[in-house]
Amino acid sequence: MAPVITLNAIDYAIISGYILVMILVGYSLKKYMKTGEDFFLSGRSLPGWITGLAFLSANLGALEVIGMVANSAKYGIATVHFYWVGAIPAMVFLGIFMMPFYYGSRVKTVPEYLKLRYNEATRGLNAISFAIMTVLMSGISLYAMALLFKLMLGWSLTGSILFGAVVVLIYVFWGGLSSSIYNEVIQFFLIWLGLTPIVFLGLREVGGFAGFVAKLKEPLLHSVKFLGTSNNPLGVDWFGVVFGLGFVLSFGYWTTDFLVVQRALASKNINSARMTPIIAAFPKMLVPVIVVIPGLVALLVLPEFSQSALPSTEYNSALILLMKHYLPNGVLGLAITALLASFMSGMAGNVTAFNTIWTYDIYGSYIRKGKPDSHYLKMGKYATVFGVAISVGTAYIVQSFPNLMDYMQLVFSFFNAPLFATFLLGMFWSGATGWGGFFGLLFGILTAAGHYILYKLGALHYASDMAANFYQAWWAWLTDFVVTIGVSLFTKKRDRADLVGLVFGLTPRAKAAARWLARPAVWGTLAIIIAAVLNILFW
Amino acid sequence: MDAKIKATEQETGMKQGHVLDLKLPIGWLLSIYGLGLGVYGLVTGKEIYEKSLGVNVNLIWGILMLAVGAGFLLTAFLKRGAKG
Repeated sequence: MAPVITLNAIDYAIISGYILVMILVGYSLKKYMKTGEDFFLSGRSLPGWITGLAFLSANLGALEVIGMVANSAKYGIATVHFYWVGAIPAMVFLGIFMMPFYYGSRVKTVPEYLKLRYNEATRGLNAISFAIMTVLMSGISLYAMALLFKLMLGWSLTGSILFGAVVVLIYVFWGGLSSSIYNEVIQFFLIWLGLTPIVFLGLREVGGFAGFVAKLKEPLLHSVKFLGTSNNPLGVDWFGVVFGLGFVLSFGYWTTDFLVVQRALASKNINSARMTPIIAAFPKMLVPVIVVIPGLVALLVLPEFSQSALPSTEYNSALILLMKHYLPNGVLGLAITALLASFMSGMAGNVTAFNTIWTYDIYGSYIRKGKPDSHYLKMGKYATVFGVAISVGTAYIVQSFPNLMDYMQLVFSFFNAPLFATFLLGMFWSGATGWGGFFGLLFGILTAAGHYILYKLGALHYASDMAANFYQAWWAWLTDFVVTIGVSLFTKKRDRADLVGLVFGLTPRAKAAARWLARPAVWGTLAIIIAAVLNILFW
Repeated sequence: MDAKIKATEQETGMKQGHVLDLKLPIGWLLSIYGLGLGVYGLVTGKEIYEKSLGVNVNLIWGILMLAVGAGFLLTAFLKRGAKG
């Protein structure tokens, strides 16, 4: 099959330049990786703007860009819910309310918090399930990248998977979390620079927003208006969107997924740590500009996407086809590099999360305890290697699932939704006990799995797969919440002294930053207000 | 004395500071990209810009990127100057 896009020398020069920079950054950080804290946590030394942009970029991986453009072509403007409802509130909540416990307790990982707050069993359950989930996600990023190279260059799937895996392996092996973070910040700028030309050219060709209004069917143009009706593009009612996506899935991901939380833990002080997700929230609100607009443009401009197209249209190819449609060689290379960057950040984020959880929460807790720091540093490096190897294997599993985005939501909701309930109770209710946490989490996960099985067997009915996913998350969360409280009421309470620094009410409140402009609460509130206004503007 | 030396050994690594001013790689990368795209935009003919609605994206975007890149490098060097 002929490649969709033909690249020439300048495009390859741009791509190569970026790969070189990624490796050079890793190389220059090599000599600073002296301790485990350096390798896994960047020595807790990074400023807020770096951790903030990395926090966002770690999330802005393959799925975000390609999947969201595809979703925009499929669902229209309602896709913004993934950002304005599905991300901003959670990010702000994490920064203002949860970071004091995460960063203040000096835990190295999310499971470690669970061990301190609940018990070893809870930690084990989370660590093992997260480790599995993160390699699945890594495989997804890798596969998506390989698919792009196949379409773009006609490269073999295997070749691309191995190429991407080797590059990420090199720079993470050398520079650990710092490499991953620094490269993510570079990627942040590249993603915007690479994809914005399509936005400008697309808007120019369709005649701006007026063009959208004139030529697209109404349900595609509203984010809220049609959610309650039978014309609902998302197939999910408002309850599902608000509670399933907006609350459970969104908070479950942003507040407990170690991949993003790890970047905040690398901050140099508590204020930077709290500002990290809040700093990330502002550009996050703008991401719809580079994903939703192109999705809508694709519907109007690409022959493959005319509105009378068959339902089996490959929405995932929207972005690549737009690049071919508009971009001459030169900026085309830049756009491809931007996508490459977003794939790499997704994969590297998963790899660093994996090597940390493996080393501290699985290996260091169950296999070989009490070894000196240098031993764990070495294990971290080994874990990087086999983590990448497992991801490569996982990339082949992902081939069976047609819609990458729905797959991700499904996996998240099995684990992340219940975990959020566990954290919520853990951080804000001192009465939650160790076994309460464990059984709550266990039953939450089982509920999610059970719900999925019932749905697939046809015992439960929903308007769409996405609706099923959102409700599955909601029920899993609720089960965890109720079971944790229930079991906690009947099991032994923790000593209050042990819980200092881990729970609201037993932790001294940090003094608010003197400068008004440095306060997380101020910026967090501003972010929420802006997101609310945007929702109203595009309702 | 020994304890003090041990302490500093543990401290080295990322906490040293001056690790790598991120504005430098970003600045250089964007500036070089900008320069490359800009020059490419100047030497290429009108035909390849038919698909981009007649707009010479390479030239325009090249200049923009060069400006952004230069901005980063400027802030990085000014900061160094102030410190030194």
